[in-house]
Amino acid sequence: MSKLRKDPLQILLLICLFLLCVLMLAPFLWIISTSLRLPADSFKLPPSFLPTSFHYENYVKVFTSFPFARTIFNSLKVAVIVVVSNIIVSTMAGYAFARISFKGKDIIFLFILAGMMIPTQAKLVPTYIVMAKLGLVGTHASLILPAMISPLNIFFVRQFMMTIPASYEEAAYLDGAGRICIWWQIFIPMSKSVIIMVSLLSFLASWNDFINPLIFLSKEEVMTLPLALKTLSGTMNTGSASVVLAGVAVSLVVPTIVYIVGQKHIIKGVALSGLKS
Amino acid sequence: MKGQKITSVYIKSKNRKNNVAGYLFLAPTLILFIGFNFIPIILAFALSFTKYNLITTPEFIGLENIMRIFHDSNTLISFHNTFKFLLILVPIHVGLGLILAFLVYKAKRMQFFFRTAIYFPSIVTTASVAIAWGYIFSTDTGVINYFVRLLGGSNIPWLTDQTMVYVTIGLFSFWKFIGTTFLYYFIGLQNIPEGYYEAARIDGSSSLHTFFHITIPLLSPTIFFVMITNIVGVFQIFDEPYLLTAGGPGTATRTVALQIYQTAFKEMNIGYGAAISFLLFLIILVITLIQYAGQNKWVVYDYE
Repeated sequence: MSKLRKDPLQILLLICLFLLCVLMLAPFLWIISTSLRLPADSFKLPPSFLPTSFHYENYVKVFTSFPFARTIFNSLKVAVIVVVSNIIVSTMAGYAFARISFKGKDIIFLFILAGMMIPTQAKLVPTYIVMAKLGLVGTHASLILPAMISPLNIFFVRQFMMTIPASYEEAAYLDGAGRICIWWQIFIPMSKSVIIMVSLLSFLASWNDFINPLIFLSKEEVMTLPLALKTLSGTMNTGSASVVLAGVAVSLVVPTIVYIVGQKHIIKGVALSGLKS
Repeated sequence: MKGQKITSVYIKSKNRKNNVAGYLFLAPTLILFIGFNFIPIILAFALSFTKYNLITTPEFIGLENIMRIFHDSNTLISFHNTFKFLLILVPIHVGLGLILAFLVYKAKRMQFFFRTAIYFPSIVTTASVAIAWGYIFSTDTGVINYFVRLLGGSNIPWLTDQTMVYVTIGLFSFWKFIGTTFLYYFIGLQNIPEGYYEAARIDGSSSLHTFFHITIPLLSPTIFFVMITNIVGVFQIFDEPYLLTAGGPGTATRTVALQIYQTAFKEMNIGYGAAISFLLFLIILVITLIQYAGQNKWVVYDYE
């Protein structure tokens, strides 16, 4: 502390950063505090950043006036399927790229990496046509199918698997194990850390996706959470903002838990995607 | 001679086995990749030359859609608006992100708290928080204008003024997404070997001089990466204008992505929407190619 006192610049820096961080967190505090106000008082001034009343019935109302529990379930369902399929697909591809030498490997790898630069927004229209032809518009499959594979995930897993020492699989080969066995029993367990990272990033991307549900889903029962909230805020008048904000607060719970649990892995994932170029 | 032949047959059968195994392991990837990445882009290209509304069969109309892009005022406005967003959002993220990361890097206390508070908004659902920010920015009842009035100002039309909406979306974008850029920079700063700073200290370099002559050049790969990802990101910007301003007021914040959404899914003009989509794809392709070409040229990679 005495060291700090001698450094007024450092103290100034800490104060400025602290104020900025308070501002960064203030909207969350406002969302929670306002979601606990009487709906009629949603916009009563002054605004509160710490709860002044506890009208938890807003939380009840958001679940009863809208199939909200259903939309949470939908979001979870889509995200979980996307995560599981990404794990299977990216470890299979990652293993093939890291360990099997087959004809055309390099070209296919480049081809898939090039897929990273196709923007979602440019694919919206043709993807919609593909889904319409398959009769999948309005179903969760229209969100799941395109998200089942991610070139970036394949790249991460391949990079990781290339570092696994060959001696592990050689021993298994001598025992007569086949490739599927080696992939399942050696490569998947040994790639745990990269799989966790890929899973968390895929989960958040799916949970937070807005544009795809907006285009593919229109019935309330099939909507995912972000689209449901948008629909809810559109149908409720501003006099019941606190009910909408209760929904917003609920939607923040899952990303918060994911962040607290997987912080280390998420940050690593972001760091790796920054280093990949 | 005989032995050689046996070996080559063995290798051949092993190669064949490897080929089969390789493609079996890649089968799910290839099917999904071709079905939902490759075919869509080809389809976007093909549909660009048609008139199509999902119900009738596509009708070939040649270059009409492509010509229309250059005459349709709404599409031109959407490109113009997207360029405005580029000019505002890219400097915010590339510049402020770096300053913020540098300041947190220099902080000797509470670094974990700073990092978490700055990064946290990046992982929450954009749509949810944008709804909340819509209330926060509202002119008469919003939180921000309450403080503006408290400080003696008059209400600011955050969401209803053609120019002000850019400030609004800039503020929201900073709050929501600065964390990712911040993290890239922060990790980049941590990767700079301490030795450089020691050498600079010994040479009596001022901290400002050190920042511009050591930190920035050594961070150039990260700066370059952040710039490219932000440019690509802004070209696709959709959630923020859709949720905060619905592209308005009027067409003030209608971006290319919103224009695609509007033409293809609201006006059911699929062919024209596909043409704009394909143009967007080409633009992003060019930027990415510039990235590959540029990263070798004007970026310091080795720390030696």
